[in-house]
Amino acid sequence: MKNLKTLTLTAALALGASGPLYAEKLHFIMCGGEIRDADQSVVDAFEAKHDGVSVNIEAIPWGTCQDKSLTLAAAGDPPSVAYMGSRTLRQLANNNLIVPAEISQDTISAYQPGILNTVTVKGTRWGYPRAFSTKALFINCDLAEAAGAECKAPKTWDDMYALAKAINDNTDAAGVGIAGKDFDNTMHQFLNYLYSNGGVVIDPQTGENKLDSSNTRETLAFYKKLVSVAQEGPTAWERSQLKDLYNDGKIGMYIDGPWGRGQHKEGMNEITVPVPAGPNGDNGTILITDSIAVFKGSGHEEFAHELAGMLTTGQSQYALDTEWGLTPIFDYEKLGFDAPYYKGDAYWQVFVNGIGAGGPEPLVEDFKSLQSVFTNMIQGVILDDDTVDNLVTIAGEELDEAL
Amino acid sequence: MSQSTGQFGATSLKSSPLKSPRISPAFFAWLLVAPALLFILVIVAWPLLETFRLSFTNARLGGESYVGLENYEKLLEKRKFHQTIYRTFYWMFLSVSLKLILGLIGASLLNAAVPGKALFRVLVMPPWVIPIAIGCIGWLWLYNGYFGILSGTAQWLGLIDGPFEFLAHKKSAFYSAVVTDVWVGTPMVTLFFLAAMQGVSRDLYEAAWVDGAGRWYRFRRITIPQIMPVIVSMMLLSAIWTFNSFEVIWILTEGGPRSASTTLIIDTYKTAIGNYKFGEGAARAVIIVILLSIFSLIYLFFLNKVNKIYGSK
Repeated sequence: MKNLKTLTLTAALALGASGPLYAEKLHFIMCGGEIRDADQSVVDAFEAKHDGVSVNIEAIPWGTCQDKSLTLAAAGDPPSVAYMGSRTLRQLANNNLIVPAEISQDTISAYQPGILNTVTVKGTRWGYPRAFSTKALFINCDLAEAAGAECKAPKTWDDMYALAKAINDNTDAAGVGIAGKDFDNTMHQFLNYLYSNGGVVIDPQTGENKLDSSNTRETLAFYKKLVSVAQEGPTAWERSQLKDLYNDGKIGMYIDGPWGRGQHKEGMNEITVPVPAGPNGDNGTILITDSIAVFKGSGHEEFAHELAGMLTTGQSQYALDTEWGLTPIFDYEKLGFDAPYYKGDAYWQVFVNGIGAGGPEPLVEDFKSLQSVFTNMIQGVILDDDTVDNLVTIAGEELDEAL
Repeated sequence: MSQSTGQFGATSLKSSPLKSPRISPAFFAWLLVAPALLFILVIVAWPLLETFRLSFTNARLGGESYVGLENYEKLLEKRKFHQTIYRTFYWMFLSVSLKLILGLIGASLLNAAVPGKALFRVLVMPPWVIPIAIGCIGWLWLYNGYFGILSGTAQWLGLIDGPFEFLAHKKSAFYSAVVTDVWVGTPMVTLFFLAAMQGVSRDLYEAAWVDGAGRWYRFRRITIPQIMPVIVSMMLLSAIWTFNSFEVIWILTEGGPRSASTTLIIDTYKTAIGNYKFGEGAARAVIIVILLSIFSLIYLFFLNKVNKIYGSK
């Protein structure tokens, strides 16, 4: 009996010791600072499918997340997968830190137009698109009406300015909220206006820098005009903070993604409308995606591809889009969804209709420098540091250097 | 106990390397110093040399190649970089001056025979004790134009018409960062000065008082000269810390708006870590080392003078 006990104990110890030898642990960096239910449930299913394989999800806030992923990869200790802004893909790919995505043909054909361009560099897809957004203008109708204006969609920049000025002059609130902090969404917000004025940053065919243009000058000049009816000190605010001012009735309108409605006060009297058209364009929006990148050299690329695939297909993608209120990344009807959440909903149509007319987030090697070029130009006009002409000329030159 | 100690002592003496003909006393001394030396080489010298080497390359995420003095030439040509150097010294001068002045005033008050001074000594500590990041986040709220107490109070008092964002404008962002840095750094200076003041002999004050010297005269002619070596030491330490102060500026403004609060250390971080331009960042780091070395040499020169004048050893 004693021998049997010893044998059993030895066997148990041996099994226990051998477990970790065969175990695989995937490191999943999740930018955004929280683990979403839609992601966690897929990870749980993945772990259940693969005995001995576990996934360590590390949620990191946006401000530092992409730097951490890049630094880890450059230092030779890459994460297995990372959910990050697609703008980082070019830099990661050019430095041989990630491997191309393996997206199935069925999935490819179901993506909304323009989505795959956000992860494609020289014909190769480097990420699995996971989250997608377009932008629209939210207007607080209580403030508009209190200012004696009609609460309706401004068609042009002039209409928008007139409404913002009315709110600014006739209520305690500022007319419009502008993001001007040294942060990526300062550039994103500007691009919404630039694309609504027919502007281009980089020529998609030639890769040429097209920032220094009359469209950019007009857009920056409009920004200057908006600043006069905007909240105090836009350079201290980034987009996600503007919703607090909006909820408190301190700004009359601002641009945000489709998740905005869920973050606003319940029962708020508001309308959501396309970004008004500039003098040389039509209603536009920036198309932004976040993607899942599979890193090179983690030792579990196969598992990482499988996990990325599971996260970004069919039901799991639909779960994320609905849970987080994101612009649909797929044309879900093509995937067999009969009545997707956006179908026939006027709110969602504003965001879905913008997809076709949207412009991409420029995919460059050095995205931090790109961001810095835009922030410098925008802050320059907000702080009245220089003329619109000079600021755009300088930005064009700086972008040449960054490219 | 004593027996065993004696035995140990006898044994260790017998086997001491000093007694061994094969190991010279000098070599033995080097052996003793070796661990510390190795530690310094690995922790200080090697990174410094590596930084120096990197500064002659265009090291980025994808690799590196030798570029000679190109990084330095680029920096010297950039007007923005000159402005950053000037701003860094201005930041250092302002912040250190305020810390020293407030520290001196605070220490004098805490050293005075006032009731409840033990409580005041405790109350002066929080800015130093609270983690800098937490303190700075508190200041972020204070400086907020719409939700912060400073703007709210100023509006309530009728000093301003509407909200004022302290961190949104170039000048106010810079000076707000200075104020926060002073808030963080003053308690330590105060406590050092207080310790030095408590070491000044009472006899000197009593003799001066008997001769009819007033408070201000005694402060000027006894306190200040007696604690001068500590003042000079604190000046250097505080200057180096302030020159390299990162957290306060980064958390409050990230060097903005439009680089208005960018100091050399922020510029270096943004270049090397933010933009992955390790070579260019290293060149900036080398310039910081050179500037601080020059500053330290000037300090040592003055410290010697002060010690000669005030007799400190």
